[in-house]
Amino acid sequence: MATVMAATAAERAVLEEEFRWLLHDEVHAVLKQLQDILKEASLRFTLPGSGTEGPAKQENFILGSCGTDQVKGVLTLQGDALSQADVNLKMPRNNQLLHFAFREDKQWKLQQIQDARNHVSQAIYLLTSRDESYQFKTGAEVLKLMDAVMLQLTRARNRLTTPATLTLPEIAASGLTRMFAPTLPSDLLVNVYINLNKLCLTVYQLHALQPNSTKNFRPAGGAVLHSPGAMFEWGSQRLEVSHVHKVECVIPWLNDALVYFTVSLQLCQQLKDKVGPGPSTFIRGRASKGPCHTLRVR
Amino acid sequence: MRTSLQAVALWGQKAPPHSITAIMITDDQRTIVTGSQEGQLCLWNLSHELKISAKELLFGHSASVTCLARARDFSKQPYIVSAAENGEMCVWNVTSGQCVEKATLPYRHTAICYYHCSFRMTGEGWLLCCGEYQDVLIIDAKTLAVVHSFRSSQFPDWINCMCIVHSVRIQEDSLLVVSVAGELKVWDLSSSINGIQEKRDVYEKESKFLESLNCQTIRFCTYTERLLLVVFSKCWKVYDYCDFSLLLTEVSRNGQFFAGGEMIAAHRILIWTEDGHSYIYQLLNSGLSKSLYPADGRVLKESIYPHLLCSTSVQENKSRPFVMGYMNERKEPFYKVLFSGEVSGRITLWHIPDVPVSKFDGSPREIPVTTTWTLQDNFDKHDAVSQSIIDYFSGLKDGAGTAVVTSSEYIPSLDKLICGCEDGTIIITQALNAAKARLLEGGSLVKDSPPHKVLKGHHQSVTSLLYPHGLSSKLDQSWMLSGDLDSCVILWDIVTEEILHKFFLEAGAVTSLLMSPEKFKLRGEQIICCVCSDHSVALLHLEGKSCLLRARKHLFPVRMIKWHPVENFLIVGCADDSVYIWEIETGTLERHETGERARIILNCCDDSQLVKSVLPIASETLKHKSIEQRSSSPYQLGPLPCPSLQVESSCKVADAKFCPRPFNVLPVKTKWSNVGFHILLFDLENLVELLLPTPLSDVDSSSSFYGGEVLRRAKSTVEKKTLTLRKSKTACGPLSAEAQAKPITESLSQGDNTIKFSEENDGIKRQKKMKISKKMQPKPSRKVDASLTVDTAKLFLSCLLPWGVDKDLDYLCIKHLNILKLQGPISLGLASNEDHFSLMLPGWDVCNTEMIKDYSGVNLFSRKVLDLSDKYRATLPDQVGIPRGLENNCDSLQESNTIVYLLSRLFLVNKLVNMPLELACRVGRLQDGNDVSDVWCTLGKLTDFCSFRMECAHNKVRSAGNDILNMSSFYGCSRNGKNESHVPEADLSLLKLISCWRDQSVQVTEAIQAVLLAEVQQHMKCLGKIPVNSQPVSMAENGNCEMKQMLPKLEWTEELELQCIRNTLPLQTPVSPVKHDSNSNSANFQDVEDMPDRCVLEESESPGEPRHHSWIAKVCPCKVS
Repeated sequence: MATVMAATAAERAVLEEEFRWLLHDEVHAVLKQLQDILKEASLRFTLPGSGTEGPAKQENFILGSCGTDQVKGVLTLQGDALSQADVNLKMPRNNQLLHFAFREDKQWKLQQIQDARNHVSQAIYLLTSRDESYQFKTGAEVLKLMDAVMLQLTRARNRLTTPATLTLPEIAASGLTRMFAPTLPSDLLVNVYINLNKLCLTVYQLHALQPNSTKNFRPAGGAVLHSPGAMFEWGSQRLEVSHVHKVECVIPWLNDALVYFTVSLQLCQQLKDKVGPGPSTFIRGRASKGPCHTLRVR
Repeated sequence: MRTSLQAVALWGQKAPPHSITAIMITDDQRTIVTGSQEGQLCLWNLSHELKISAKELLFGHSASVTCLARARDFSKQPYIVSAAENGEMCVWNVTSGQCVEKATLPYRHTAICYYHCSFRMTGEGWLLCCGEYQDVLIIDAKTLAVVHSFRSSQFPDWINCMCIVHSVRIQEDSLLVVSVAGELKVWDLSSSINGIQEKRDVYEKESKFLESLNCQTIRFCTYTERLLLVVFSKCWKVYDYCDFSLLLTEVSRNGQFFAGGEMIAAHRILIWTEDGHSYIYQLLNSGLSKSLYPADGRVLKESIYPHLLCSTSVQENKSRPFVMGYMNERKEPFYKVLFSGEVSGRITLWHIPDVPVSKFDGSPREIPVTTTWTLQDNFDKHDAVSQSIIDYFSGLKDGAGTAVVTSSEYIPSLDKLICGCEDGTIIITQALNAAKARLLEGGSLVKDSPPHKVLKGHHQSVTSLLYPHGLSSKLDQSWMLSGDLDSCVILWDIVTEEILHKFFLEAGAVTSLLMSPEKFKLRGEQIICCVCSDHSVALLHLEGKSCLLRARKHLFPVRMIKWHPVENFLIVGCADDSVYIWEIETGTLERHETGERARIILNCCDDSQLVKSVLPIASETLKHKSIEQRSSSPYQLGPLPCPSLQVESSCKVADAKFCPRPFNVLPVKTKWSNVGFHILLFDLENLVELLLPTPLSDVDSSSSFYGGEVLRRAKSTVEKKTLTLRKSKTACGPLSAEAQAKPITESLSQGDNTIKFSEENDGIKRQKKMKISKKMQPKPSRKVDASLTVDTAKLFLSCLLPWGVDKDLDYLCIKHLNILKLQGPISLGLASNEDHFSLMLPGWDVCNTEMIKDYSGVNLFSRKVLDLSDKYRATLPDQVGIPRGLENNCDSLQESNTIVYLLSRLFLVNKLVNMPLELACRVGRLQDGNDVSDVWCTLGKLTDFCSFRMECAHNKVRSAGNDILNMSSFYGCSRNGKNESHVPEADLSLLKLISCWRDQSVQVTEAIQAVLLAEVQQHMKCLGKIPVNSQPVSMAENGNCEMKQMLPKLEWTEELELQCIRNTLPLQTPVSPVKHDSNSNSANFQDVEDMPDRCVLEESESPGEPRHHSWIAKVCPCKVS
């Protein structure tokens, strides 16, 4: 019995040493790695102030759908803002071609990209405030830091993966519809959003419901993409969506960013698993599983 | 939390973790408020001598608190607002600890500023908020609804920080903000109030790019009205407010991050860092105005430079980050205070001298720390109060130190508390006994080693417990499961204390044990699901003693378990929003989905109601949740764990659905540590209901009383058993209703019975009787409740009485009420609504600075209580008619009568103080009229009023109104109807007094204690004064109500004895309630009313009828006497 006790005491010392190493060295190594990944991710968002100043570079994206070519869009992305947009719409009824473009003086902020970018920079800020010189005292400290970082990263990812669900009146009221020159005809609605790694443009064609229409008027709720037949009230008019056109284009750097998010989230979780709830649990947990188990058996 | 629920916290020796994320000092400089990562707020008392002591913890947020701010003109209303990571916002009353308003918005705020402009604004003002969204939101300070927003025309972005500039010179308030990208924007505040109220878009007046990131603070110098301090994480800058030209930039040295700053005087700046240092600079002016080149700050020659005067620092303990603040408006003794809160939970204060100066040689002077304090200091200082519920037993066990409880579970049906300890032992105790041993003073009676069991089987700390029978009545009542750190799960028989089986899962620590819903069965049995810390899930079959499935592929912690009964799937939702679907029979991974699809899978499971969700968060208390079948849970699992004590939700469960019992124990566990504590819940309403044989003498009110609850309960499938239990409990209730229908003669003969009984009851015969009753084979389950109820009531009264205020009174209480003195002040909980409540911390009583020290008393809630109590006693009629007259006959009878009386009073007070205001007004008005009119008229009015409420069919209000009537009529009854004409009148004036208190914002606890003190004093005075004079004859003259009260009481006193004996027997299987026939009346009790009937009765009733009933209620007792 005494030998067993001695053995466990020795093991305990070893494990305590191991935990100290984990807190002092391993944690910082992982944090450094995380920082590198996230910096790489934030570069994709062309963070202002992260090195090269000046206007962010412009990228053109041609949006189309594999099926029909009724809607074509060329959108220019400058950082988190749409600086130019050209939308060509072939009206299904008369094959008339409509063309709209952004007014020269206006930009449209893509809120999703801005939010994702801000969340990443928050995460980076959290990490940089605990650089190598900082010594972690307890496992809980690491866990709390990881939880905070993961919260930011999850939010960043979710901003990109879950576009806002808007009601049709909300789309109609949004500033985006006022961005175009010539102004959009009243029977058209336009929405732009990010879904995962894709930049999406939806154009809704509307027709007014007759006041004496026998159709049951039921206003549609919020949705990312409304389907034909969705109804809403705008001003004093009742409108119904007749056609929906959705075109999209993959933004390569968004794809990269999403991969970086996933990787860093996994890194965070792995670090959390390594550290566990604290040294005592760490030691116990290891002691019960590790080589000491065989020791005790002997 | 139901308002009639009273909570008492039993803290452990360790303080709950409180990682401070936000800190503020209230404007009156009496209270420090901190918000924590765990989600609680803590109120700390700040004395005039700058001494800190923690006062209470406020529960309500389920995520980390992000910011705090005042929410009103503090001199008028002591309100502050808190915002949490998940969008919750709360307005708290700092004085009472109550939540005044709450809202959950889809915005995460990082800073809030209160703005009120009295001459242009109606309402309570605005909360200007910024955070993880574009621009500035304006939220109404009263309703917490979004009013509008300040919009940016250029570069809309998140806002990091803001300040309100109130310039006397130009008579205009402005809002200054700095965005994440470093853009300074200015909005006109006072002149845009109208525009905002009309929902017009208000855009910024000016903006300027500041060329630095991570802005922490922006401050305007009110002394010079010229300078603007902007603190970034890596530098701080001073601008000229007139044209925003840069005057000074100071970059941080040796890797420090600045966290904030303040202008403490003209040209004097205080800057603090994230690691808890602070620096005071004097800005030295070198020809500031002459060398200015407006509009071109960039090339400006720096004309001012900082000179370091003083610094402060914390010694060791560098747990980052610090949150700090500065306060310089302390009024009475004029202090300038720099304060900081740490992640470790420590608060530090520095007293900044009015004129900070450097040393003679010009080097900076170090300002010493004035005070520092932590929650744990409070716990250490008041260690008598901070003992856990189990300490007594574990101390008894080995004497060397107390075991740390790592998990615990309360079994309401058996009143057992199971505690798993760090050393692997499991202690099972009778919860009420444990609570008594912990709370009450000495008295061998209590400490007579209440039976407790120690189960030894685990070698590691016990991390989770499960009592399957509590979740499904079909399972064996003696089974209990426990899991430990070593991923070993043991199935116990808690009756025989033996190990039935040990499962070795070979995974991580067992973080939670769950049971499949009743719908889901495998091989005819519900199965157990173990979630381990290595993210694996194992399924156990108890009957077969086998492990069915080990699911080990999960990369992230398991957040959700769902069962698919049709296809035998186990659906596991992980923290990264991915879903794993396991086939249970084969143990194979069927599918793995992420993103949108995963969400759909989890959601559609909800809709189809095929599966039932249980939420395996590492919190013990959540297990209650699985019983509750509501799909719309108050807490939605966000994408990431909401770090919190999950009390609020579980509390809600415990009381709303789970508390047909007067007494409950709620184990609470905290995140990021294994510190746990317990909350005792006393349901006052239920207590009164159980103790009171006649809740009201009329059928209507009792049916409405119970009806709602029955309906509520019927919803829950698990509650079948309690329903039957309940029936038997309430069987004694309708007695008087039925008795009143009887001719008086009969009730008189019943009275005779009672007397015989009471005579029988005391003296030698008792022994014999006990033996007889012991022999009775099936022990009615009601009896367990009865003795428990009386004990609970006594404990409750002990908890509320202000001991030591009057030594004689203490003695009398102990002697006549047979209750015991408290060991120390108790930590009372105060609920403000469903899921917001506050708990006092050990040492709260020293916070009452106004408390005069010559009261050696403990547990006096506040100084005010004594005054209130005096006022109340003055209103009490001299002729107290607390039922007595049996003093000589049976002490215990008298005692329990008094207890019932006191409790019902407390219940009434509680109801009154908590009553919605609108109703209160009506009552008030009625009472005003009452002064002139005679009693009958008043009664008529009141009943009119009551029926009016019924017509309104506003359920809540109606019940409140009813209760008041019930209570007051009961009051009449219990006062023996001796002098009808004056009793209700006095009663009404009391009602009025209490209503007054509510308007004077007297706290519920204060009111309750005051009333209790007054009533007890009055009662005891009478006891002392009036000689023993009553005789059996006078007894018979007493009203029938009283008789009816006494009868069950008699049973209880017997049962109390009985229970003592039975206690030693390990377990009692609840059997259908069978009445023992030693009491001639009990037959009546049983079949008077059936629950379903009552429901029908209530529903079919027309609104006019109750009036009739309540009339009867008033009249009947009078007739009889």
